[in-house]
Amino acid sequence: MSATITSKTVTGRMGRWATSAVLLLISIATVYPFVWMILTSLRESNSVFGGPFIPERITLDAYSRVLEFTGFVGHYWNSLWMTTVTCAVVLALSTLCGYAFAKLRFPFKNALYVVLLSTLMMPGTALIIPVYLQLRTFGLLDSQLGLIIVYASGAAPFSMFLMRAFFESLPDELVQAARVDGAGELLVFLRVVLPLARPGIATVVIFQFLATWNEFLMANTVLQTPDKLPLQPILFSLQGQYSTDWTTLCAGLALSAIPVVLVYVFLQRQFIAGMTLGAVKN
Amino acid sequence: MTSTLTHGGAPPTPTKTVRRPWSVPPIRRKEMLAAYGFVLPTFFLFALFVGYPILHTFYLSTAEWSGFGDATFIGLDNFLRAALDPVAQSAFLLTIGWALATTVLQTAIPLVIAAMVATVPGPISVVVRTALFIPGIVSFVVSGVLWRLIYDPNFGTLNAAIQRLGVEGFNHPWLGSANSAIPALLVVAVWQGIGMSMLIFFAGIQGIDPGLNEAAMMDGAGVLQRFRHVTLPSLRFVTAIVLALNLMNGFKVFDLIYVMTGGGPNNSTQVLGTYLYGLAFGSTSGSVPQLGYASSLSIIVMALCTVAVLFQMRLSRRAGA
Repeated sequence: MSATITSKTVTGRMGRWATSAVLLLISIATVYPFVWMILTSLRESNSVFGGPFIPERITLDAYSRVLEFTGFVGHYWNSLWMTTVTCAVVLALSTLCGYAFAKLRFPFKNALYVVLLSTLMMPGTALIIPVYLQLRTFGLLDSQLGLIIVYASGAAPFSMFLMRAFFESLPDELVQAARVDGAGELLVFLRVVLPLARPGIATVVIFQFLATWNEFLMANTVLQTPDKLPLQPILFSLQGQYSTDWTTLCAGLALSAIPVVLVYVFLQRQFIAGMTLGAVKN
Repeated sequence: MTSTLTHGGAPPTPTKTVRRPWSVPPIRRKEMLAAYGFVLPTFFLFALFVGYPILHTFYLSTAEWSGFGDATFIGLDNFLRAALDPVAQSAFLLTIGWALATTVLQTAIPLVIAAMVATVPGPISVVVRTALFIPGIVSFVVSGVLWRLIYDPNFGTLNAAIQRLGVEGFNHPWLGSANSAIPALLVVAVWQGIGMSMLIFFAGIQGIDPGLNEAAMMDGAGVLQRFRHVTLPSLRFVTAIVLALNLMNGFKVFDLIYVMTGGGPNNSTQVLGTYLYGLAFGSTSGSVPQLGYASSLSIIVMALCTVAVLFQMRLSRRAGA
């Protein structure tokens, strides 16, 4: 009896080592393209092809080239501020709206909710033509404000849905107690409910940040003036412009990914919690 | 009538309040007004930039229009044209095939990996989960440009690796040949999509009662038997969610293909998204934007996504029951 148990734990331990080894191999294969990208960005531009995997000489020339010749800083700034403003607008819209659907009673509540969520899964490609025409009607083509409005309108329902799920987990008594103290609805929301919603807010902000920072289709279509463009359309056009200078191209790709990697590294826990919440509540 | 609300919260005396059937008690009315105030901004923007555009697509799909001047109403001719257009046909089939392929791959592979990750020591588990998730956070533009370099026929890492294995002068154009372009794109999509599904599965596996596994082990069940009889049945609901998410993402495909092949070579990687985008916005010299025809393809994309949503509702209802 004891013999079988030991033999089992031995095979179990060996199995675990084998599994670990396989998983680590898969992980290395998965991150390999990024390692290659960063190593390429550190090469001298004439030593990209045929050199050893680890560059013999490391240089930051490619980074200074991408910053100098492509207006990269300006596009970076466009991405940063447009993403930040979009996050703020989506947060304001979705917390208010999500709270109303979670805790307040009003006529047509369910109908409005269903309408808002019915189109949650509509892809950007299916909407790009009429959205473009709508922006044209309002004179918002080639306008960064127009792009932000489109982002916020499209994203608010999903964030609202996340916030509603979050607010519903708060006890009703909390709201009622604040009301009995004579606070108006907006005050109850701002003073009592919102401060408790920090984890939900973190989730919404992370999602929105990644989605807006990475968005390509709308930005590439709505904006035409090169100076107004955020990073993704620029990276796309660099692909053609620098098709033979891979060091510069890779430096641009690496720089563009810094914010999303930072967000992921520092807010990983909320991110994963939010993702599983979003997925499970779906 | 609302003036009957005195301070101190004394209830209005019944004699003073004439109760009409449509009247709302004072507190409720305040609550209701606040609620509409809270919901309205979101709803207003939604109506302007999502709701109306969707309805507008239906209208546009029945018209012939370049975007300027008057549109000509042509009924369902655009849909008829789509049915007869060989590019639209292949784009339609490829969109469905792409969605099914990515759904199967991005569900089965992460499920197996998550089950493996759950058995290894904590530090290794963290490393593996982090590594597999990283591709999922960068944009499709970044991954698309990066993988184009890897697939480059002359200088790409992939061909260089195959040459190093002994195949002299191997310079296959992975994205430039109709046979290998789709598999090459699928590799990138799966590379990017695994992490998210894997984390959802992993969270699901963590939620399984450890007693179930212990009991199965006592009964002498091996690793595979436990996977089949404990892990899989416990993950039914989670699997339904992952399947549905992947299916919807599959129908949405655009960025990756647009960046990596632009639908080529020879339309062999053209999906509905890239095709309709080209028709509407890709006006190469001489060709007029075909907003009506492109909109009819948008309607088809919407229909596919709606099918995916219905499928998800059905799956989760059945898995939840």
